[in-house]
Amino acid sequence: MPKHYRPAGKKKEGNAAKYITRSKAVKYLQISLATFRKICILKGVFPRDPKKKVEGNHKTYYHMKDIAFLVHDPLIEKFREIKVHRKKVKKAFAKKNKDLADRLLNRPPTYKLDRLILERYPTFVDALRDLDDCLTMVHLFAALPAVEGERVQVQRIHNCRRLSHEWQAYISRTHSLRKTFISVKGIYYQAEVQGQKVTWLTPHALQQVLTDDVDFNVMLTFLEFYETLLGFINFKLYHSINVNYPPVLDPRLEALASELYALCRYMSSGRVPGNSESAGLIEDKEDENNKESSKTDESEIRLAQLQHQLPTNEPGALMHLVQESTATDAEDADAKECKSLFRNLKFYLSREVPRESLLFIIPAFGGTVSWEGEGAPFDETDEDITHQIVDRPTQSHVFLSREYVQPQWIYDCVNARIILPTEGYFVGRVPPPHLSPFVDNDAEGYIPEYAETIKRLQAAAQNQVLPLPSIGDEDMENSLVEAIIDRSESNEVADKKRKLEMLEKQYHDELKMECEGMTFSNRTTDNPPDVMDKNDGKQAEKDAADISKALMSRKQRGLLQAIEIHQERKRDKVSLLKKRKKNADSSASAKGR
Amino acid sequence: MGHSDGDHESDLSADDSPWSEGSWSDDDEEGSLSFEDSGEGSDAESDEPDAAAAEESDSSEDEVAPRNTVGDVPLEWYKDEEHIGYDITGSKIKKRDREGRIEAYLRNADDAKSWRKIYDEYNDEEVQITKEEAKIISRLLKGKTPHTNVDPYPDYVDWFEYDGKGHPLSSAPEPKRRFVPSKWEQKKVVKLVRAIRKGWIKFDKPKEEPNFYLLWGDETDTADNKRQGLSYIPAPKPNLPGHEESYNPSVEYIPTQEEIDSYQLMYEEDRPKFIPRKFDCLRSVPAYEKALREGFDRCLDLYLCPRTRKKRINIDPETLKPKLPSKKDLRPYPRTCYLEFKGHNGQVKSLSVESTGQWVASGSSDGTIRVWEVETGRCIKVWNVGGVVHRVSWNPSPDRHILAAVVDHDLLLLNAEIGDEDIQMKTKGLLQIDESAPEEDTGDKKPAVKWVKHENFDGIMLIHHKAVSTVEWHFKGDYFTTVVPSGDSRAVLLHQLSKKHSHHPFRKLPGLPIAAVFHPSQKMFFVATKKFVQVYDLQKAQLVKKLESGVREISSISIHPGGDNVIVGSKDGKLCWFDTDLSTRPYKTLKNHSKDITNVTFHRKYPLFASSSEDCTAYVFHGMVYSDLNQNPLIVPLEILRGHSSSDGRGVLDCKFHPRQPWLFTAGADSVIRLYCD
Repeated sequence: MPKHYRPAGKKKEGNAAKYITRSKAVKYLQISLATFRKICILKGVFPRDPKKKVEGNHKTYYHMKDIAFLVHDPLIEKFREIKVHRKKVKKAFAKKNKDLADRLLNRPPTYKLDRLILERYPTFVDALRDLDDCLTMVHLFAALPAVEGERVQVQRIHNCRRLSHEWQAYISRTHSLRKTFISVKGIYYQAEVQGQKVTWLTPHALQQVLTDDVDFNVMLTFLEFYETLLGFINFKLYHSINVNYPPVLDPRLEALASELYALCRYMSSGRVPGNSESAGLIEDKEDENNKESSKTDESEIRLAQLQHQLPTNEPGALMHLVQESTATDAEDADAKECKSLFRNLKFYLSREVPRESLLFIIPAFGGTVSWEGEGAPFDETDEDITHQIVDRPTQSHVFLSREYVQPQWIYDCVNARIILPTEGYFVGRVPPPHLSPFVDNDAEGYIPEYAETIKRLQAAAQNQVLPLPSIGDEDMENSLVEAIIDRSESNEVADKKRKLEMLEKQYHDELKMECEGMTFSNRTTDNPPDVMDKNDGKQAEKDAADISKALMSRKQRGLLQAIEIHQERKRDKVSLLKKRKKNADSSASAKGR
Repeated sequence: MGHSDGDHESDLSADDSPWSEGSWSDDDEEGSLSFEDSGEGSDAESDEPDAAAAEESDSSEDEVAPRNTVGDVPLEWYKDEEHIGYDITGSKIKKRDREGRIEAYLRNADDAKSWRKIYDEYNDEEVQITKEEAKIISRLLKGKTPHTNVDPYPDYVDWFEYDGKGHPLSSAPEPKRRFVPSKWEQKKVVKLVRAIRKGWIKFDKPKEEPNFYLLWGDETDTADNKRQGLSYIPAPKPNLPGHEESYNPSVEYIPTQEEIDSYQLMYEEDRPKFIPRKFDCLRSVPAYEKALREGFDRCLDLYLCPRTRKKRINIDPETLKPKLPSKKDLRPYPRTCYLEFKGHNGQVKSLSVESTGQWVASGSSDGTIRVWEVETGRCIKVWNVGGVVHRVSWNPSPDRHILAAVVDHDLLLLNAEIGDEDIQMKTKGLLQIDESAPEEDTGDKKPAVKWVKHENFDGIMLIHHKAVSTVEWHFKGDYFTTVVPSGDSRAVLLHQLSKKHSHHPFRKLPGLPIAAVFHPSQKMFFVATKKFVQVYDLQKAQLVKKLESGVREISSISIHPGGDNVIVGSKDGKLCWFDTDLSTRPYKTLKNHSKDITNVTFHRKYPLFASSSEDCTAYVFHGMVYSDLNQNPLIVPLEILRGHSSSDGRGVLDCKFHPRQPWLFTAGADSVIRLYCD
């Protein structure tokens, strides 16, 4: 009898009925594998792991309900229509029926993904939760070469660029960026939008190479979904801060490839006046700075935008005012801190620094920024510039009124949330190590040296700057410190206890031996390996811990072993790091000598 | 006539060129007319050398009716006649008179035009052709066109548009359908018109609708905000970057060159995917070449990886360990090494404690059996038996100080020569053997056991047919059993000391016997084979129970003094506790040793049992058996006893409890016997 014998006339049950293999699903849906792939990506249907793999271990299983969900999707019908349309066009061309071909090409069947997005993400928060991959992908494609004839359409790359800039403009405008990190792979950003942490990676602003080892069909299908999703999310976000979407940009700035700046300007200028002082502040400052240069331009732009916006914004102005006030109340201390980090600082970017990234970060933390190039709000000779971001071996002309720092300084400041001393970041120096803000050093068990330095600086800054206002925070800090102290203390206490116990034990042993009439000479034979005793003590402790292992069930023993192996690995890692550090230090000191 | 024909042809060719069928038919009619006209024509007309007229007019005027009307018959028929034929009226046409040759020659010579004269045989006359005609003839002879002004190769002028016709010109007449509006076209047009009217065909481009709108409007409606269908399992987020991924990591995160080289030796799946690098400044960081690849991999993970909800166990490993009752409540038990008995030169293979607990005997691979005093650790007696001592065992009866020892292949019963005179005498008496005891000849088969007096010592040798592995006494001290693993049907032997008699009660055993033990109080007998423990009733001589250990290979067995519980040690480091009342399968299996268990043993009085193993440790357990049958035995591991060192890969070879005190003796491969006390 076969393994899964089912008598005739009896329905399938359990996993055999609940799950269906991929090839069977494709057959069941009567579509090609490529279409199946596409629809799975768009609908977010993924294989599931059944408890019992009835048809074999090496197959992929989909839940029958998921497949039934796909059967009734109008998208399948749309895909068929598109296929038919393609055939019609081909046939028209083959018959030299140009009329028909043109007419067909004019009206290809299209489909929309909006219902699908709502279906996958019923609430906005759901969408934000799944936004990481979306943003990373859109930013990746925005960095691809927009060249005609490549495998990716130029228009889509431009669309990705636009979407990514719109997102960044929103984040920057609302000061919701929290962490940044320059890695070898690109720059990581973490923002907090509506309480959700959204992390994404942007590649370095260099031309990416299209490689052959990826299937662009799959990626472009993902991108199709992500583009739509990000569009809707941007709409919602812009709507929440009363800015029209899609934004109308200054064509001059757009042509200069500084869309982000254009967007920022759009957002700050396009707001209903009187909503927020900070927006006005920035704008005013900017206006002062480039009064002569771009006043006329700006007024034109504003006029255009106002015309664009009036009908939507005017009636709800009062409502918006209310909303804004509540929103500012809800802003937590974190957001406030972020907003005011670079408040009174003015930055100027040299040619060689990653402009887009810094144009995004600095305004997000309340700073004003300009760059070398056309369309910049103010130029290098401005007296008020406090910091100039430079990334070159030497700086020839130096203004004494400002500090010249490497771009890493900005990122480190942002992560530490304080203005770090600039000495380490001067031009031509190797900056201190750039640390990831995403690592919990305590949990990892190893704290890099520079992290400790930053911690000390942070503590100092807090003492100086915030004596009163955030009592809660300090309490938190104190309790944390206390907890740390408690932990270390408890460790010490445990150590002491152990020692006492050892001593006691030895004493008891000796006493007993005396009682039982053991001669000293006999005792001495036992005693001499005193060093051994220590080892024995350790061994005894370990035994005491291990002895209950004998009673454990096999499963639990396996689990325990797995945990222990994991811990062991972690320890090894830390010890390796410590070893390397020690070696590096010793070699450095040897060199210094 | 000939020339006129040629003319006609040439005219035709000129006329034919317009190819239109209408004109062609007209021409035909004209032709027929001209024939009628030609009837009136005369010979004289033919003579008119009017080339121009001939050209412009049709053939009608050239046509000259022949004088002769015989038709196309061979002229030979009229050769001998007077006439050559008939004229139109039917009168005979007479032949002309033949001229003489000379006359003809002369006439020709006189006539300058003679070369233009041709004789017409049919009409029997001479015809003079005009100069033009002669010219034409000469041209024709040369293969040229008759007229000089005809260009045989004019530039071709295409009269038709061939583009898109796709067919060669056809001379077929225009069919009617070409002049009648098409029905099918009309139908098609009607269809199109209808489609356009009904809006099926649209010509204007579709309007651009705003792509984005407020998709998530009112979030308060909770019923609508539920995701339909199966529960959504969100994909795990990609790992966040650590310090090592930085473009400028601190020095300790950068592996040395040796470490990077060592990665090459690893398996590909173990190899780190990312090797940290340090860049001095941000501008020198290159584009990440694997960016697309990693994005693609993430995509693949998202739509191809099966997803399940896995419970992540985030527990303290300490909570996994079972809670043990306080050890203090379970005291006394052996904890620390109190004494070491040194003296052997080889591995101490076995030891045995005398029933009073005053003496302990040990056998070693150096060929000696020693008896020690427990309290002082003094060696009282040494027998050099000259062979490896595998096993020693004291007689449990307090009035018989007899030591049974397995030396090499055979069993040796020794008088321990301790205790008072009385007992010694008694023992001596027991160990007397009648040399003249009847040699029972069991035929050709070698007897299983032969009782022989030992020459050197005051004892008895039991010579077995094959190597003996263990010896065990009955609790009363008269019977004992030996196991001969390779003995087939005579593997387990029972011996009676008082009668000096042996027999082998078991014909067949399931597998190789390892050990055999007497029940501590009843007439029961336990035989441990490789995987099973057989329990026999000695009185009824039948199998009572068969315990399945489930371990790979049993190495030792011990019976609880109550008799209902059995522990079995195995060569894969497992210890099985059987509650024979409960089940034939182990009540509990403990995996405490990493190597073979060499011996397991129960304490006679305290609720203790111990196991010793090749990994140089001995475990002491608390094993409480309750008299209440509803309550399962309580097993608590108490102590790991260490101290023995490994030699030849062997650790602790034997362990025995003191019969009265909670003390444990262990015999190690390092030739030391240790005594552990509370």
